[in-house]
Amino acid sequence: MRLKQLIIYIAVGIFSVASAWAQNQEITGRVVDEANNGIPGVTILNAATNRAITATREGGNFSISVPANTQLLFNAVGFSKRTVTVKANQSTLTIQLSATQDQVEEVVVRGYVARKKETQTGASITLGEKDIRDLPTANLESLLQGKVPGMNIQVNTGAPGFRGSTQIRGISNLTTTGSGSESVLMPTSPLYVIDGVPMDADRAAEFGLQQQGPGISPLSLIPPEDVQSIEILKDAQATSLYGSQGAYGVIIITTKRGNSEVPRINYTHSTFIKAPPKLRETLGGNLERQIKLQQILNNARTQAELDRIMDTPGLADSLNSYYNNSTNWQSLYYQTTFNQNHNLSLDGGNQVLSYKSNLGYYGETGVIRNTGFNRYSANLRMDYRPSRRFEFTGQVFAQLGKQNKGDGTGILQTGVATGGMNSTLLPPPGFYSASSSYISAIQTKNDNSSKLIRPYVEGKFEIIDGLRFQSALSYEFASNNEDRFTPAAAAGQFSEVYSFAGRESNLYNRNILNYSKTINEDHDIFINLFNEVRHATRQNTITKQVRTPNDQFEGPIGSDGYFSRGGGVLNNFRNEKALSFALAASYNYKSRYVVDLSYRIDGSSANGFENLYTKNPSVGVRWNMHHENWIESIPWLNLASLRFTWGINVMPTSTLERVYGKYDISGRYNQVNGIGINYAFIPNPNLKPTTSMQYNAGLDLNFFNGRADLVYDTYYKKVDNLLFESFLSNMNGFDKLHSNDAALANYGHEFALNVRPLSPSNPVMWTMTFIGAYNKDVLLKLPSVYSGQFINWDNNSDKLHMVNRVGTSSLSNYLLQNIGVYATDADVPVDPVTGLRYRTADGTFFQAGDPIFVDRNGDYILNEEDYTRTGNTQPLWTGGLQTSVQYKNFQLSIAASYTFKRTIMNYALAQRLRMYGDPFGNSSVVPLSDLDIWLQEGDVARYPFPYDFSRYGSVQPFRYDQTLWEEDGSYFKINSLILAYVFDRDFLRRFNLQRLRVYASTENVYTFSNYSGPNPENVTNLGRDQSNGYPVPRTYTLGFNISF
Amino acid sequence: MLETMKILQKNRFLLFCLSATTTFVGCSKLYDLPEDRDFISENINYLDKVIEPVLGRNNLFTSLQADNSTLPMQFEIVNARYGDGQPVTDLFTPVETYQWIAEYDGKETSLEEIQAKRQRVTRPAFEVDSNGRFILWAEATAEQIAPRPADTVLRTQDIRFFDLKVSNSGGERLIKDFQVIPWLERPYYPDTDINPYTGGPAPDPQRPRDTTRQDYIIPNYITNVVGQNTELPLVNNSEKKDIIVYIRPFTGGNGHNLRFRFMGSDGEYLNPALFNETKWDELVHGFNRKNEEDYVQYDVAYPIPLTNIRTDYSDGGGTAQIEFAYARMGFGGVVTLASFGLNFNIFKPGDWEIVFHFQNENPKFEDE
Repeated sequence: MRLKQLIIYIAVGIFSVASAWAQNQEITGRVVDEANNGIPGVTILNAATNRAITATREGGNFSISVPANTQLLFNAVGFSKRTVTVKANQSTLTIQLSATQDQVEEVVVRGYVARKKETQTGASITLGEKDIRDLPTANLESLLQGKVPGMNIQVNTGAPGFRGSTQIRGISNLTTTGSGSESVLMPTSPLYVIDGVPMDADRAAEFGLQQQGPGISPLSLIPPEDVQSIEILKDAQATSLYGSQGAYGVIIITTKRGNSEVPRINYTHSTFIKAPPKLRETLGGNLERQIKLQQILNNARTQAELDRIMDTPGLADSLNSYYNNSTNWQSLYYQTTFNQNHNLSLDGGNQVLSYKSNLGYYGETGVIRNTGFNRYSANLRMDYRPSRRFEFTGQVFAQLGKQNKGDGTGILQTGVATGGMNSTLLPPPGFYSASSSYISAIQTKNDNSSKLIRPYVEGKFEIIDGLRFQSALSYEFASNNEDRFTPAAAAGQFSEVYSFAGRESNLYNRNILNYSKTINEDHDIFINLFNEVRHATRQNTITKQVRTPNDQFEGPIGSDGYFSRGGGVLNNFRNEKALSFALAASYNYKSRYVVDLSYRIDGSSANGFENLYTKNPSVGVRWNMHHENWIESIPWLNLASLRFTWGINVMPTSTLERVYGKYDISGRYNQVNGIGINYAFIPNPNLKPTTSMQYNAGLDLNFFNGRADLVYDTYYKKVDNLLFESFLSNMNGFDKLHSNDAALANYGHEFALNVRPLSPSNPVMWTMTFIGAYNKDVLLKLPSVYSGQFINWDNNSDKLHMVNRVGTSSLSNYLLQNIGVYATDADVPVDPVTGLRYRTADGTFFQAGDPIFVDRNGDYILNEEDYTRTGNTQPLWTGGLQTSVQYKNFQLSIAASYTFKRTIMNYALAQRLRMYGDPFGNSSVVPLSDLDIWLQEGDVARYPFPYDFSRYGSVQPFRYDQTLWEEDGSYFKINSLILAYVFDRDFLRRFNLQRLRVYASTENVYTFSNYSGPNPENVTNLGRDQSNGYPVPRTYTLGFNISF
Repeated sequence: MLETMKILQKNRFLLFCLSATTTFVGCSKLYDLPEDRDFISENINYLDKVIEPVLGRNNLFTSLQADNSTLPMQFEIVNARYGDGQPVTDLFTPVETYQWIAEYDGKETSLEEIQAKRQRVTRPAFEVDSNGRFILWAEATAEQIAPRPADTVLRTQDIRFFDLKVSNSGGERLIKDFQVIPWLERPYYPDTDINPYTGGPAPDPQRPRDTTRQDYIIPNYITNVVGQNTELPLVNNSEKKDIIVYIRPFTGGNGHNLRFRFMGSDGEYLNPALFNETKWDELVHGFNRKNEEDYVQYDVAYPIPLTNIRTDYSDGGGTAQIEFAYARMGFGGVVTLASFGLNFNIFKPGDWEIVFHFQNENPKFEDE
């Protein structure tokens, strides 16, 4: 952890008073780890005075000058402390430190200032570069899955360059976007702070899955190889210093920095194979025709239905070569791909000047043809410390992401999904014919790019001892473009163009003044005052033109009002100016009792003008019990501390439109262009920001000399003033009001348990980490007009309604309850009053083989009164399990993650069964033999009779809005399996190599689940498994890491 | 001593840990979260709160607007009173009625088979069922429940009011001031010959004040029926009614008989065999057909039709369908099929006859 080393260097520089004693003896030595690798940056202290003497250099070497019989304390982050007494006349010393996961001595960054973790009261967890290596990925977040308790990461798309969903401690909003199975919860991703600069990860998320523009996740632009450490802040005390942007948690990413006297070249390469998951089984060729004919012949109810066979040449004309095929359509769209990842870094420098450059290339060809992602990145950093009082840092990030989404929107590949379900009887694409969905998917030219450049400069100056001033400035500019050309054959005989141009900028300045003082060696005081200034802009425009001249002419294209299909500036326009002030004070007594106080105010031009400034206070206390005498005497307990925090994060939810209303050009009147009010939403200047208040209590324990440690946290998070769209009564001019009257709570428990079962002397090093988090969300409040329940009716024909009811999980489905299949006609209930059987709204009586929908309102008619609240779209348990074994030069690590107790909707299965709804149609036929289907009178089955196409439209046995598709989405996934071999240093020296490590890994290895659909993770954040999503591929990697 | 100290310290720590953990874990009780309860809307109501049932037949009123309240709910009729505050009890007189236990499908081959699909139960004459539907059972008669006054003037003290208590675990709502204003029994349909207020004959719409005249039931259609004397098609219109229908009880049956009769203009009954193209076996869902000189009789189950389902004997719209037809040689040697039909209900069990009265002249059965 080079940041920490750096700080230790500084600490050493500041505190080590040249302790020149008489009769000093010169000692040179080396500090090594269990694998005999030198450990740089180990602080060497005089145990008697607790003064730092020096720190080890690169390679673990050190030289000191101390009197004999001095007790030296060797201390390094990630290793156990070790005390050694210098013998008289000793001149060399080799110290072996054993690795530890003891987190207490770590140094963490809080409010942009490095602090000792032991004196921090907030809940956080730190991951190092070892936790994320050896797996080439475009999405850094996916590597964190299952490694952080309370951070629920779902890798729910395999689309290259896109990210899944990330939530820290449950949901924080109720706003959904999109309709039908494409409806998603608006993401509330944590704030990413990359090398001190906050970054919004939810860019371009306003449009849900119907992405506009490239949609390349900003996280996809960070090469994982350049990451030194990742720290995740969870509770409000830790995040409150980040203000409104940190309301959903904060993730601090620190990239590597220069740290070697000798310039060092580090090259990482991996070649990886992406393989599509198992595709849907289809029955091909004549079998498809026979099955369709059998279905019609056995289930037709009228002569007309039988006669339709004659009008369906695919069924009737089996000798026609056009219909005499067995085409595997899915194989035309999916592929296994070979990809490469390169990362080259160069670093060097000394205490005065250090530099680093990291160049990366990542190329991924999608498992769906005509999709892919390429990343080019360059990250340069220079640190200059001319004196111990002054430090200067300059850094430039330049990143380019290029993406190809084919004809889909990235996450959704609807064209491929429908094309893949084509009838196998149709001919494969050839010289003379090709289906338009195939041409659309394969020949649509899609070119996306996200270009990002971010220079960053920072200066630090220590005015007097303990009083420091820092100032940092960064300007980020991102340009996003998408160009899509759809050839004529794919778009109704006329080619089309779509173009997206977007730019974003973020000017950021931060000034920090802090003061630290230790009084009588017992009282530590730290005061940190800083301000932040932010100016963020965004403007995205699109244009779409249809009926362009021909396939050879892709542009430039002049405008044509008749063939233009709209465009203009998208409504995610942003021009926000924000100013923040924060004050944090911390006090501890002998590191035993710690009190943290902080207060931050955020002003933003996007806030309602009645609520311009949001206030974020926090309080935290910590009791490090292991410093108490009565605990120090317990031999097996090394560390025990209790933490308790409270804090508030206030997140503005207003936008310019919500506060000031929206004006439209409303036509001409008296030769003057009228500008009128848009009546969709009434402006609400009183719109309050969302307030997230959180209590956290934590317990840190470390037993048996670090062989087991446990971090436990429990929290209660109340999200108040949630944005909620209330419908206004229709006598009002406006339709809706953005109100603030919803609230929800999340509470839960989190634990991380680290165990090293074998003794340190054992040559096999084995560590195991168990991560678990339980989170339950409860809706507390809705606008009073709804008196406790709001139904989010879905206007889509799939009718996937959602319900929010106070006192229950915030986001539930509102569905017809399916409790089986009528085994016989006699099982259908009869109204005792009218004598009529239970029937559909159009009067079709249910019969044997039809689904049993619970008739909630008891009128013996199935209608929308019969919906009921069911399920919980959010998981209750998430977590993971990691284990690694190291024996000599071999390393094996396995990472797994799990999600338990979550309702997901198996629409993949629904679509599979719905393919039987129309045997005359153009879709393929899938085998159903694995399903428990009603086939004849008396069958007790789970799934209704699928072949009754005649009544299909009335009964709708496979309608989406029913609980038949609700399944438990619990899964246990082996995320990765890595086997690495580190070559011996002595062996390498012959080739002038410093380090060579080769590895083989697989990612997305296997998912254990009772879920009957394809992948319980590849679902939207509302738990809907729609089969037009991008499948998550399995990755096989071979790679090496070499240092010169 | 030192050992015990150590153990004590150890235990103290363990005790501390234990108490700390239990405090944390038990916290969810402290959060004062709202309970997971059913939703009951403030706006729960009925579309139609004035219930005007017709006595003597099953009446079902389903206008509950639950406004997405969590179902099922509990319903209870409370505070039943007349407009002047007098308590109402007659509405809830127990009656013995039929409830269906299996579906009647029109394919039953005996009365017993039909009867096996329904059961006799005792219910309050008027009740709200577990789904918020109001039911007035067919066996409630005017003797038990006084209908609206025959003088057609509705006074508030004649109206029965009640409130409905609706509850689920989310709470309780009181929907106030339902009104029940029953109509007198009209035991059959079409009931154009009954005055719904008095039960007497309905006045002739052409001359409503002429008490010597009355309105009649007429067949739904008459096709190709030609008069014996005039040789003109028989018609029913506001001026002239050639065929009228009486639906009336008769005596001497077994209690569940249904007869069809055809009365000539001279008051004599015609032989039903004259209607030679009539499908007598599919006329009504009856058994033990007896073709007599002046009537055709069946054993039937009442009410007719039994349910609203479409069968061979009914159209699914709630009425039974009958058609009588005969063929004769028309002009030019073409067979003319003459027919007339009626869609009807009979709600009250008993011995009923449906008489088609050729008021003005008999139909012509002879060939041209």
